Amino acid sequence: MNIHIGDCRGGKVVAISGEIDMYSSPELREQMMNLIGQRISNMLIDFRQVSYIDSSGIATFVEGLKSMKNYGGRLRFFGIPQGIMEIFSFSKLDRVFEIYGNIDDAINS
Amino acid sequence: MMRDSAVITVPSHPRYLAVIRAVTGKMGELCGIDENTTEDIKLAVDEACTNVIKHAYRGDVSRKIVIKYRITRKAFRVAIEDNGVRAHEDVLKGRNLNTIRPGGLGIHLIKRVFDVLAFDEKKKIGNRLILVKYLKGEK
Repeated sequence: MNIHIGDCRGGKVVAISGEIDMYSSPELREQMMNLIGQRISNMLIDFRQVSYIDSSGIATFVEGLKSMKNYGGRLRFFGIPQGIMEIFSFSKLDRVFEIYGNIDDAINS
Repeated sequence: MMRDSAVITVPSHPRYLAVIRAVTGKMGELCGIDENTTEDIKLAVDEACTNVIKHAYRGDVSRKIVIKYRITRKAFRVAIEDNGVRAHEDVLKGRNLNTIRPGGLGIHLIKRVFDVLAFDEKKKIGNRLILVKYLKGEK
């Protein structure tokens, strides 16, 4: 898994590539929590290059969302591949996370 | 009758989950299981092995996990063995999916694809989790 963090209209875009599992999710958590510690108001997660996610990865995002909500921040996802979207839907987390098709829709929401 | 089998033994380190997924995926492919179902099986076996690392071995990455695959025309069977802390049958229930919190999702992802999910009571030390996915409507 690789993580690239960029700026976008005062927020941060976290572009992830590769597989998010129990091995890689601690690194994702560390990077997300570092941004959350800075009270980033908007965080967009770019899923376009994510090939796999397990429950460890999903738990990391649930924790991130709860932490951001504590200070009124927004966590938005975009570009989720179909197979991964099915996991979010199955776990009913598609109702919890803000999910958009592309970065423009996510930014303009 | 078609029958394929394989056994792998890997350290209980999370970096080996990628190896487990790769082997599981190849076993599904070898046995002609469709791509989407194979992806679901890969995730389920990953979740079961993650549970072994987290719960049976309590994060100890120096132990062993044995994964046994046995595939016939009727079913895709996986047995996941450890020598760690005994699991209670209650862990197979999973949490309420309407409760939004980190954790507790893994069992549901296993049940999503496997028809049978049970601990083998004959194993006296550690755990042997038996997963069975019936194929072509066989039950």
